Amino acid sequence: MADEEKKQGTGADAWDATQWHVVVKGETLSKISKKYYGDPNLYMKIFEANKDVLKNPDLIKIGQKLRIP
Amino acid sequence: MKSKKYLIPVLFVVIGLFLVACAASSKEPAAAAIKVAEESWNAVKGEVVKYIPDQAKGVEDTIKGAKENFDKGNFDAALEAAKVIPDRIKALTAAAAAKKAELAKSWEEMSGGLPKMLDAIKSRLDILSASKKLPANLDKAKLESANVGYEAAAKMWDEAKAAFAGGNAGDALAMGKTVKDKAVEVMTTLGMQVPEAAAPAPAPAPAPKG
Repeated sequence: MADEEKKQGTGADAWDATQWHVVVKGETLSKISKKYYGDPNLYMKIFEANKDVLKNPDLIKIGQKLRIP
Repeated sequence: MKSKKYLIPVLFVVIGLFLVACAASSKEPAAAAIKVAEESWNAVKGEVVKYIPDQAKGVEDTIKGAKENFDKGNFDAALEAAKVIPDRIKALTAAAAAKKAELAKSWEEMSGGLPKMLDAIKSRLDILSASKKLPANLDKAKLESANVGYEAAAKMWDEAKAAFAGGNAGDALAMGKTVKDKAVEVMTTLGMQVPEAAAPAPAPAPAPKG
């Protein structure tokens, strides 16, 4: 998991500790939540952290870069 | 012949007086040079000792040597040693100022970055603590160890900030490095991305055999 997140991180600042995930086909916020937190019900944490790019937790796009708090 | 007999001791006395006069002529300049050296040194000693302690000792030894020569009556040697000290002090003062600036720059970079790492860890730990299950590659023991590691790193970061505020940039940076290493360890345990600036340097390639 660490390697995967490492590849996905694109922080311009060398100290930037923001954690990123790039959405792939078939993913939902629940699936992403399960992947990082082990619990799909915590998907709202990801939605809240990405309100600038997400309007609806059920609508995410392939290739979208999401912050994982 | 008789007059020459008296001439020799007189000559010795004259030479002796001349030597005493020569030595005495160096006494005051040597004393003044030592005084100037000591005063210059005392004015900057604190900063030089703090930032380049290894080089500070050389000046102290030179001043000590000049004073010892003075006490033994070797005024010329004392003067020679003491008169070069102000230039050395000037060079050391510049070197200490450069070191101080270098440490301040490192601290600025570190204090701008480390809190971001600690915040990211705290955020992830809070969420994982509320999670009913844990992600793959993470179990309760690892999560607990990450929590303990984070608490220790956050506490040490507070101490590092206090050390810097107290003027101990060297100690602050040393503690900051420990905090960074601990934060990297915790992030790795949690499966998080380690910022580029904090990532450990890659191990050097093994030397070719044969």
